[in-house]
Amino acid sequence: MMVPGLDFLVTLIIYILIFLIVTLSYNMAYGYTGVPDFGRAMAAGAGGFLCGYLPGRLMAFVLGIQGDYIENSISIVGKVNAFLGDNPLMSIALLMLTLLLAALAGAALGLLASLPMLRGLRLFYLGVTLLAIQIGFNTIAYYWKPLIGGPLGIPVPDPFRWLTHYSLLGIPPASMRLVGVIIASGIVLLIVGYYCISVGKSPLGRLLKAVRDDEKGAEALGRDTRKLYVKVMTVSYAFTGVAGALFAYYGGYVVGLQFDKVGWTFWPVATVIVGGLANYKGTIIGTAALITLRRLILFYKSDLEFILPFSPVWLEDFILGIVLMLVLIYRPQGILPEKPEIPLSREEIEEIKEKRR
Amino acid sequence: MYDLISPLLSNAIVFANIIALMAISSTLSLSITNVPNFAVATFGTIGIYISFTCINFFGIGLYPSLFFCFIGGGVVGVIIYYLLVRPLRRRGATREQLMIATLGLDIFLIALLNIYADYLTYTFKIRTREFTLGVHDFTLGGLKGVLIISLLVFFCILIALHLIFTRTNVGIAMKALGEDPVLAECEGVDTDRLCMITWFLAGALPATAGVFYPVNWISNPTVSLYLVVSVFASCVLGGFATIYDAAVGGYIIGLTQTLLISYLAGVIGSWILPYGFLVALLIMIATVFLFPQGLYGLPWGEMINKIRNIFTSIRVRWRLK
Repeated sequence: MMVPGLDFLVTLIIYILIFLIVTLSYNMAYGYTGVPDFGRAMAAGAGGFLCGYLPGRLMAFVLGIQGDYIENSISIVGKVNAFLGDNPLMSIALLMLTLLLAALAGAALGLLASLPMLRGLRLFYLGVTLLAIQIGFNTIAYYWKPLIGGPLGIPVPDPFRWLTHYSLLGIPPASMRLVGVIIASGIVLLIVGYYCISVGKSPLGRLLKAVRDDEKGAEALGRDTRKLYVKVMTVSYAFTGVAGALFAYYGGYVVGLQFDKVGWTFWPVATVIVGGLANYKGTIIGTAALITLRRLILFYKSDLEFILPFSPVWLEDFILGIVLMLVLIYRPQGILPEKPEIPLSREEIEEIKEKRR
Repeated sequence: MYDLISPLLSNAIVFANIIALMAISSTLSLSITNVPNFAVATFGTIGIYISFTCINFFGIGLYPSLFFCFIGGGVVGVIIYYLLVRPLRRRGATREQLMIATLGLDIFLIALLNIYADYLTYTFKIRTREFTLGVHDFTLGGLKGVLIISLLVFFCILIALHLIFTRTNVGIAMKALGEDPVLAECEGVDTDRLCMITWFLAGALPATAGVFYPVNWISNPTVSLYLVVSVFASCVLGGFATIYDAAVGGYIIGLTQTLLISYLAGVIGSWILPYGFLVALLIMIATVFLFPQGLYGLPWGEMINKIRNIFTSIRVRWRLK
């Protein structure tokens, strides 16, 4: 039996960082606003597929490399990578540009996904519609060859290649690439995390919870709930799109089925429910716990293969289903339950008003 | 050998029967027990594997296994009711939580079916993925057996459900339960038993439909991933209200999806074939945006009156009797 080593730890950290972006933004849509968003994998896919589609072609155009991109993708991306390896500035610029565009692509899909809500769809209808749209989106990405090479997939240029020329703190140069991924996702996570946490603590967060608990009531008090839904969906889809792009850069390869509904919709749902709704601490704990569990199953796959009379791949889905059902039956409020919002007393409000004057 | 009707149309009708049965099951569980069931297509996959097991291990034929699928699927439905739905409702779960629970159930069942398929492959060295059961089919007078049997089963089930819901006390009580559970309980209806019966049907119908799938199409433990879009599209088109709307919705989706895609494949090219269920998706989105209440919510009475008025005005103008 192997013991998880440093490689395992680094991969685990990268997964946790990237999935925290997804779960924190998912918590904003499902935990705070109560949108049963079962099409979230679509946003991650938008970011990831954009990484397969755009940066390679862009760099090939800049460098003047001729030839059909899909047919010769491996050789073209090899040349692009060689160029990026010598140009740190170009790499960083490319990375930032694609992350921004991934956010835009995600935001566009978020707008699309909030359209059914504007038509007055809620709950089951909304969940089913978004799920079906997501399955359609993924199928098109998988079968439509000009996008990202169809079922075979396509390599993604590596904007972290230049880091392998340097060595820091005794880390071997070959692993410096992963350090780059960790730093990039860490920066994105800081921004996203700061945004999501401060939204949760702000009046906006309380308004979102109010809309979740009583939509008609919030409307009666003069809040435009439709506008809120559109805003929340757009912002949180944009964040998830960035996470998808980071994941594609980390993997270095994109296939249409990579951003599937189980990995990028149902695991985030489970994470948010296990951690506790509308609660960033719970989401962080849930993400860390569930991602560690998933990585451990993958790590011990070869050992489990001898014990189990089936392929250990299915164990992951099996556990996901069990976790979802058991948590909903026995502890629906999650590990850390949502704290009730305690309103200020009349005197305190008057005091604040006095100070403002 | 000759075909009485074209194989394309025959396949389309079989597909429509499968989708319609699943749509009826999904509509039953939502309209009577108020549980949105995401796992409905996976119940169909359970049917596929029950019949696969019956044929390969017990030497039972393809169509006799329909009986075991009906019972087996029903038992699975009842187990799910007692282990998942009832505890959740006792605890006062919201509809949202019930929805996510059935989503978890769907993933769990797909994983379980995969594990079962792996187990059979590892232990008995038989092929449990990418299989068809077409060799067990028969032909009768130029018609494929699966067409005859699936039509027969579908209409028998539809008529049986119609009789149950209109003639028996149980069916009427079930309708009442769907309308207002609290009031039904006040009137002395045993809601627990009725929910159990509903879940028996909700499990049995898709499992029965599942038998017909591998006769024409390649089957895996994961076929439900693609069937589920068509099933929900037909439910949304029907309006999630009555079994008749679900059946009509299922037929419309099943026939359009198969026929339109094969027509387009002839015109544009065969590359379009994998996008088949996008037709269902488009119909569903159109329904959601144009008439969210589905076929059930359309003002049929007004429309019929309008058409009658047009005829009357024509008759008056042309002085016909």
